This record gives sequence, C-alpha cells and structure tokens, in this order.
Amino acid sequence: MASFQAVKKSINLAPTVRTLASGVPAAPALNLHVRASADDHGHGHGPSGPRLDTPPRWAGGFQRTTHSLSSKTLLNAPTTTTFQSRLLHTSAVAKDAPEVPDFGSYRTNSTDSNRTLSYALVGTMGVLSASVAKSSVTEFLQTMSASADVLALAKVEVELGNIPEGKNVIIKWRGKPVFIRHRTQSEIDEARSAEWRSFRDPESDEQRTKRPEWLVMLGVCTHLGCVPIGEAGDFGGWFCPCHGSHYDISGRARKGPAPLNLEIPQYEFNDAEGKLVVG
Amino acid sequence: MSFSTTFYNTFAKRNSVYVTSIFTAAFAFGIGFDTAITTFWDRWNAGKQWKDIRHKYIQQDEE
Repeated sequence: MASFQAVKKSINLAPTVRTLASGVPAAPALNLHVRASADDHGHGHGPSGPRLDTPPRWAGGFQRTTHSLSSKTLLNAPTTTTFQSRLLHTSAVAKDAPEVPDFGSYRTNSTDSNRTLSYALVGTMGVLSASVAKSSVTEFLQTMSASADVLALAKVEVELGNIPEGKNVIIKWRGKPVFIRHRTQSEIDEARSAEWRSFRDPESDEQRTKRPEWLVMLGVCTHLGCVPIGEAGDFGGWFCPCHGSHYDISGRARKGPAPLNLEIPQYEFNDAEGKLVVG
Repeated sequence: MSFSTTFYNTFAKRNSVYVTSIFTAAFAFGIGFDTAITTFWDRWNAGKQWKDIRHKYIQQDEE
C-alpha cells in the first residue's frame, strides 16, 4: 500500500511547485486561465456557463511572473451571506505544537528541595572560595614576616656576672654591635647630674637606663654609622673616630656632628639566671 | 516542615544571614582543615619529629 500511495502521489501532484530560496513559491508551468469545460460533464445539468461566484477580471485575480505568484484583489470581497456554522465536528483539535510530548512525569513535585539544593551548592562554593582567599592572603603576608633564621638571632643573652664594674662589653646583636657598660657609682652620678635639657638630643639618664649601673645601647654612631670607641672622648664616654662625635657616659651626643643620642635597644633583665636579654 | 525548608528558612532567606553564615563556616572550616591536616601529618610522621624523640636526648629540663 505504501508503494501504491507513493506512485499515486507522484502522478497526481503537479511537479511544478517548488519554493525559491527567498521563500516564494515558484510555479512556472501553472495555468491560471483554465476555464470550466462548456459541455455538461455527464450528470445532466446542461451546458454550464462561467461560474456565478467567479469574480470578474477587473476585480483582481492571479498574476504570474517569472519569480512570483501574486494574488491581487481590487475590490472588497462581499460578505458571506450564507454561513453554515458547524456545531459538531470530528476533526482533530488543532494545537500550536501538537508534537510536544507530556513532560509531566519529569516535573518535580516539590520545588523546595531543589531551591535548597541550589542555595546549599552556592553556599558551599562560597565557603570554599572564602577559605582559599583567606589562605592566599595569609600565606602572602607570611612571606613578609621574618624568617626562622632571623628570628633565631633576634634575642641575645648576656651573662651579667662576668662583666666587672667599670668595663665595657661589646656583643653582636642582629648584625650590629651592642655596648653594655657596668657603670661605677661615680659614673652614674656624673651621668645623672649633667644638665641634659640643654643637650642636642635632650634625654635624661633615667629615661635611657632601666637600672643605673647597666647601660645598654646600640654601638652605631647616629651620624653615619661608624662604631664608636669606648672610654674615649672629651666626656669620658664614647668617641667616634670617623667624624669626631663625642658621647658622654650615658651615650648622649655632646659634641661633633652626631644629631642624636646612641640608640637604646629593647632589653630586659632576667634576675633568676643573672642574665641580660637583648631583643 | 522538612529539612530543606528548615535549611532555607534558617540560612538562605535573608542575604545578610546567608553571607554571614558563609563567612562563619569558612572560618570554622579553616580551623578544622588545619587541625585535620596537622593531625594527619603527625600521625603519618609519628616517631620522626623532634617532639617525638626529644625525650631521648634531653633527660631533665632544668640545667
């Protein structure tokens, strides 16, 4: 039957209709001037003239050019007076997209769990991203902090019992020399009685020492960074040989180009072990 | 009141609560992750680290 249908179609369907690329139907061999036959065609109503409902030529009609088939109407069509409404019909219901299957079985019946799943996934992603960002920032900042070998050198311990009164000790702390002087009572009196308010960098001896007998300071000249010589200079303290700065017994700049007193590092006493911890 | 509805109403309904709980969870996650990794590391290298063999070399603390 299928083959028969195909044959029938190929015979009955005019091979003249096709669609141009522009979408216009092309029917080059279509005869639009055919008329109904003038004889009675076998059922006895006599010769039939032109049909009464055929519009005359001046009212419009079909036109065929080489590329298009157009229909033109120059009049308003008369209203249909006899209209038979079909109240009952057996044709199929026309749908917009009749081929769409029913997806009802795939639809969820609770959108709440889907919404919660979406929010949970987004939240988990946010948690992981925040952790990664925090870890990145922390690791980057840790590259700026001191490394372990620097931290290992950060503190220096000095045995105080080994330093006799009136002697200097020079130790190395963070690559710089540190002067530790065990001052005698006369030196303390001299340092405390000086008129420190008129000095270039006014600082009292009480501000510079935690204990009067121990003077701890960085052995770097504040002028250009030479190392001063101990127990020298005009004031019985330190003397910088590079440019001739004089420091007194409290390490204060008294003479020469040095603008500031010798710097005091952070230090503290460990009385239990008799030690001085610098750093 | 299913679990999903409770979760949504507790955490995700207000964006302020949502973002705050995300940052709090990230903080807790960081601590937990660090702890877990450290524990795993110590267990994996048990007996090799200084804190494991220190008692063999330093007998008394005071000196």
